Amino acid sequence: MSKIVDRFRKWKSGPGTIGLLIVGVIFGLVVFFSGGSFMVYANSEKFCATSCHEMGFLAEEHKGTIHDTNRTGYRATCNDCHVPHGYVPNYFAKFALFNDYWGHYVTGSIDTKEKFEAKRYELAKKVWVYMKGNDSRECRHCHTTAKMDPDKQTTKAKARHEKLRTENLTCVDCHFGIAHTEPSGPGPQELNLADPAGK
Amino acid sequence: MPKRLIARARKIVASKSAGLVLLAGFAAGFIGLSLFGTSMIYTGTEQFCAQNCHEMANNNTREYKDTIHDKNRTGVRATCADCHVPHAPVPLYIAKFGALNDLWSHHVTHAVDTPEKFDAQRGHMAERIWTYMKGNDSRECRHCHNEAKMDPEKQSDIAKARHIKAKKEKLTCVDCHYGIAHKVPDGPGPQELEVDKAFISRSAIF
Repeated sequence: MSKIVDRFRKWKSGPGTIGLLIVGVIFGLVVFFSGGSFMVYANSEKFCATSCHEMGFLAEEHKGTIHDTNRTGYRATCNDCHVPHGYVPNYFAKFALFNDYWGHYVTGSIDTKEKFEAKRYELAKKVWVYMKGNDSRECRHCHTTAKMDPDKQTTKAKARHEKLRTENLTCVDCHFGIAHTEPSGPGPQELNLADPAGK
Repeated sequence: MPKRLIARARKIVASKSAGLVLLAGFAAGFIGLSLFGTSMIYTGTEQFCAQNCHEMANNNTREYKDTIHDKNRTGVRATCADCHVPHAPVPLYIAKFGALNDLWSHHVTHAVDTPEKFDAQRGHMAERIWTYMKGNDSRECRHCHNEAKMDPEKQSDIAKARHIKAKKEKLTCVDCHYGIAHKVPDGPGPQELEVDKAFISRSAIF
């Protein structure tokens, strides 16, 4: 490795070296462009929901829920709820894919419907802990609390939304199991964040 | 001047190692494109479109406030860029050049710098948007509102019936849903507009 670095350093320039600058610029553009395009593609429903065998179960559950089909046809797909929207945090989150590859190719941890169902509670809990931990940041990326019109909500919703502010609850505390099948066991409100493993 | 600049650049390059030159080029390309992308995102934000610009802030932004795309049951919003610029990257970049026209009229012609002037031009400007939206089958509406994922059962009976009728009549979103985020000007609405064929092909690209 150091040999390569050494050769790179001693690489002499000549009158034509300015061409290398242009080659470098093009290379930089291509790398940034393809990296960015991949990030966009890796956030698409096509990639998340239909390319991956295991996600197929989850995509099937999402079908017909309020975030898929609704009055206006305005949807939220996988990445809208499940990855951060800030750029750098989004790139870091992409590395979690390696865990998915590991699970798919090596351990086969949820490759059948039965195995998936057996792990459902554990998986749901992970997502709940994550969402509680950042005050439902991904929900709020689309749902702006300040721009909600309480008068358009049902009286029940209106009253509950007022109440939860005094109780320090976050979106997912009540709105859980809305896009995927709800597992049996305690819900997000019963989770102890200080001890997420729940021992 | 450019000749001398190139000569100077050649001289600097010749004094450095070739590897360093390649790296510098890579960094310039990478950072350049990321700055470009960031500026494209920033110029699509509400802060830039709705608040930075005198003409927009005094007219369109005020009208938009509290309409259904600003404030609603769920708090999911659509801001300026969602409805008014293409979402595909290259057409978006081309659309950004439209800002040059805005700069021109703000600093040179002062075409809409008072609410009175704005209102006088309202019909003309609305017609332009309607023509654009009719020409591309309300593409920007459909970027968020996915027709295949609309649940007619959740719509009112009138809306349900009209949506079925609209498909038969080959109408597009804006033919009925106009004046929903800004004031409606006097005069014929989008359904009465004749859309110029040349405009259709232009707005299909951009």
